[in-house]
Parts: sequence; C-alpha cells; structure tokens
Amino acid sequence: MNGAKSFRAISNPPLAIASVALLVLIVTGFVMSERFGTFRNFTNLLEQAAPLGVLALGQMLVVLAGGIDLSIGAIVTACAVAVAALCDLYPELAPLILVGTMFLGAALGAINGVIINRTGVHPLIVTLGTSSAISGVVLLYTMRPVGGVPIWLEDAAYGATLGLPNVAIIMILAFALVGLALRKTATGHALYAVGGNASAATAVGLSVSRLTLLAYSASGFFAALAGIYFASRTGTGDPRVGDAMTLASITPVVVGGTVLGGGVGTAMGTFVGVALVSVLGNVLNYMNVSTFAQWVVQGIVILAAVSIYVDRSRKL
Amino acid sequence: MSHTSSAASPRRLLSPATGLPIALLVLLAIAGFIQPSFLSARNLQDILTQAAPLCIVVIGQTFVILVRGLDLSVASVMATVAVIATAFNTTDNAVLPQIIALSLLLALVVGTINGYLVVKRNVSPFLATLAMMTVLQGVRFYYTQGAPGGSLPSALRFLGTGQVAGVPVNLLVVLGVLAIAAILLSRTTLGRKIYIVGGNPRSAELVGINAGRVTIFCYVTSAVLAALSGLVLVGFVGSVDNWVGRGYELDSIVAAVIGGIALTGGRGSPINSVLGAIILMLTFNFVVIVGLPVQAQFVIKGLVIIAAAALFRRMPA
Repeated sequence: MNGAKSFRAISNPPLAIASVALLVLIVTGFVMSERFGTFRNFTNLLEQAAPLGVLALGQMLVVLAGGIDLSIGAIVTACAVAVAALCDLYPELAPLILVGTMFLGAALGAINGVIINRTGVHPLIVTLGTSSAISGVVLLYTMRPVGGVPIWLEDAAYGATLGLPNVAIIMILAFALVGLALRKTATGHALYAVGGNASAATAVGLSVSRLTLLAYSASGFFAALAGIYFASRTGTGDPRVGDAMTLASITPVVVGGTVLGGGVGTAMGTFVGVALVSVLGNVLNYMNVSTFAQWVVQGIVILAAVSIYVDRSRKL
Repeated sequence: MSHTSSAASPRRLLSPATGLPIALLVLLAIAGFIQPSFLSARNLQDILTQAAPLCIVVIGQTFVILVRGLDLSVASVMATVAVIATAFNTTDNAVLPQIIALSLLLALVVGTINGYLVVKRNVSPFLATLAMMTVLQGVRFYYTQGAPGGSLPSALRFLGTGQVAGVPVNLLVVLGVLAIAAILLSRTTLGRKIYIVGGNPRSAELVGINAGRVTIFCYVTSAVLAALSGLVLVGFVGSVDNWVGRGYELDSIVAAVIGGIALTGGRGSPINSVLGAIILMLTFNFVVIVGLPVQAQFVIKGLVIIAAAALFRRMPA
C-alpha cells in the first residue's frame, strides 16, 4: 500500500516537485512574517486564489484535450458586463440572469469548440480570434464600467460559510468534481485519450469533436463563474476586468504539471499550481517585493517549472 | 499543441501568393468606392507608415513560425528597446552607438534564451516566449519604476518620421529588411534549411542539418527585428511609455496567418506575411474611414483571422 503510493508520487514528478516548492514557500512565509500563518491570511489567500483557480481548472480541461483557450479573459469580461448590466435593468430577475450568464459563458466556449471542430484551424488562432471579437463586442457596448448588482449578490461574494469564504468553497467543489470526473468517469478517461493521441482515440471509437466541444464549453462556463464573481465583488461590470486573466490562467496549469499538447495532467496538479502561484505572491508581498519584481519571479517560475519537468520526463 | 490533421483539398486556383494581392485590391476598391479620399496618395502613405513597425515584426515572426514556433516576446522587446532609446534622455546623436549596441545585445540575449529553451529544454515556444515576455516586462517596470520618460536622439526621430526623396525612411527600412529576408529564405542554403527544419525536424537531422542551431537562428532573428521595430516605432511616436508596441505579439501572429503562414511550420513567406500586415492595417483604417467606432476593429480582426486561417487550410502550399 505504502509502496504503491510512493510509486505514484514518483511517477508524477511535476506534482511532487510543485508540492515541495509549495512547502518551501509556506515555510519561508512562516519565517518571514508573523502574519503569514494566521487564519485570516489563510482565508484571504483562499479568497484571492479562488477566481484564478476556477479559470485554471477550465484552462486545464482544454489543455488536456490538446488545445488552448486564449478567450478566457474575454469571456470573463463579457459575463461580468452582462451580469452587471442586466441586473441593473431587472434586479428582480437576478437569479435568472445568473443562470443565463453561466449559459452564456458555456455557449461562448462552445463556439470555440464548434469552430475548431468544423474548420480544423489551430485552437490558438481560433480562440485568439474569438477573444478579439468578444472583447470588441463588449467594448462596442461600453468603454467604462457599467451596471450594478443586487446587494445580496455582493454580500454573497464577500461572505463566508463556516469560516470559509463562499468563493473558496465554490472553487474547492469545482476542483473536487472535475478531479472525480477525470478519474472515475468514462468521459474523463476519454478526454485524456483524445489529448494524448487524437487519431488513436478516433480509432477506438471516441468522438474527438464531442470531447473538444465539452472541454471548451466547460472552460467558458468556469470563465462565466469568475465573471459573475468579479461583477458581484466590485458591484459593476468592468469591460477590462478579464484582460490579464487569459495568460494568468495558463501559469498554474503548466506549473501543476499539465503538458501543453494534451493528455497529461491532473486537477490536483492544477490545484497545487494555483496554490503555488498564490502563496508566492502572498509571500513576496510580505517580503515587500515590488509588483514589478514579482513579474520577473513569475516568468522565472514558469520557465523553471517547464524546463525541470521536461528534463525529468526524459530521464524517467 | 498540434490539433490539426492536414487534409488539403486541391483548390489550385487560389493560393496565398495570388489570393493576397487580389484580397488587397478588392479591399482597396471597396474602401475607395465608399470613401474616395481613402485612395489618396496621402492616406495610403499614412497607412503604410503606420504599418511599418508591424511589418518589421511580422518578418521576424515569420522566421519563428516557419520552424514551428511562436514568439510572444516581440512586443516586450520593442518596449524595452524604446526604454533603452530614451534612457540617456538626450536628443544628441552621440549616444546612438550605445543605444544600438544595447538594443542589439538585448535582442541577442532574448533570442538566444528563447531558442535555447525551445531547442535544448524542449519547452513549448508559447510558454518559453510568454515567460520571456513576463520577465522583460518586470525588468522594464523595475528599471523605470512604472514611469519611463526622456528624449530620444534626433536620428531615431528621422528613422521613424523622416523622408528621403519623398519616401518615408521607415518604409525604406521595411523594404530593406524584407528584401534581405526574402533572399535569405528563398536563395540561400540557410533559407532552405529553415524550410526543411520547419517541414520535418527529424528528417532535417537525418540529412545532416543542425535543426537546433537553425531554430535558434530564427528566434534571434525575430528578437533582432523586434528591437529594430521598437526603434522605428519609438522614433515614429516620439515618446516612450511602458507599453510601446503593446499588442504587436498577437497582431504579428494575426498578420502572418492572414498572409497564409502555416502554424505547423515549413510553409509561408515573408512577402505574404508583410501583405498580411498591410491588409490588417488597411482593415483597421477602413473601420475608421467608414465611420464605425474604433472598437469594431477588434471584432473585424477576430473574424478575419479565423476566416483567413480556415481558408488557407484548404489551400495547397
């Protein structure tokens, strides 16, 4: 039993390396600042990590299927603006608007999937194109933050249940569900197969286009969740809120050991990746490292992660 | 990230080489019909002048895409070079050698690291150049503390806005770079090697080509041309901010795709890529001329890139 477990850890070196790095960071945090170890900082961290976590989860599904989603930021923005604008007009319909926005996100993601399936154009180009088009439509609608959300929605976004921030609970649930689905369901296994080798997957009767569609729709859905959260949190729909989210969503995925190109990666790995990125930012803040220097660190972390992982997989 | 299985159905009549000039002419005809002043020599020259920095970057991007790569760090190189150009805060041309040397050094280092990561560490080009972009951005902001400023040598202003015998200098630069790139790619051994490596790196190794070295050369070329483009753009604008060239990393990929390049490598030409950049700039200008809001440019850009990529996928090389 013990042997089997340690074997699994060795067979997944990226997760092991990322976990060790996370531990080192946490220890550094404890050493650098008294406030790091407080429960308050812990819940703050969770709260800040949650939207990034949900977005990275969606990005991971797309990457697992062999693609990449550069439209995540644009969908976040579109959904944030849609929620705020509509809730402002019809406050009494807010619950319906929330559900509708989740559908909107999933539908925008599905458009990516359909275009990729129909045209065979590289996902990078397709999602770059839809990203530009979606941002354009949003900016045609408004150039500045618009709308508002009902106060109960704002309360929910700031609120906590049993001491844990609501948004963190949603993130943890999402990771648990996706993790389970990937490990236990036929669709989950098929997603790995499609990302690992599309033509082999087709040969054994898996529908590559159906799984591609599913992955991009899921990514769009998670982007909608983040968009709703940002709108609720700030009480407005900012047409620039998602700008930095696309590239940010890729870092934790890669740091968590998911391979660009598909077929390799786990929800657990992405979770550790999100934790690593968030704790790193938190610790650097306590060390009074400027935002600018943090960008440098961020870039180096990506490079370190991808080049170490690749080297390991070659040796094994 | 390969998701494409190539199944080119033969449409022999249309190829990027014939399709692009036709698309360009059709676009010009429609624009001229709607707004005759669009076709004035003045407006056309303005469009080309605005397109010049993008044209230079897209030539470098073409080299990288030809060997199955991507360079997302070009805009960050441009902005960093712009900061270098104003770092001495003087209009005196005596500092020009230092500026050029530093910019070139930066480009060589960035291009070599990008290429090294892709070739030796097997990092995906997307991630390697994305990380490089982030690092450069951090270094730049750290140096300027977020508020760059300063004057640049007058020779750079001439590079960006000057004219020789009525022809804008930056267009001459584009023509020069384009001529060198086109000859290098189509008439030299190195050029042939680049196409072979892009077409199939493994068979390139089998025929004795050092695919790694060829690939690194392409990344260095892209970085050097991005640096040149940064100098041209900062000379054109005349002042510096932290985001000189912002968006050029994606626009240069869009332009190359409009020019019919294959992201799977081994297929494409710098002339077509430059035509792609000009078509992109024309559509931007067109949007303004017909009185649409500027934001409509994003929508059109998005639709054009998907349409172009889908169209060229069905075309023979």
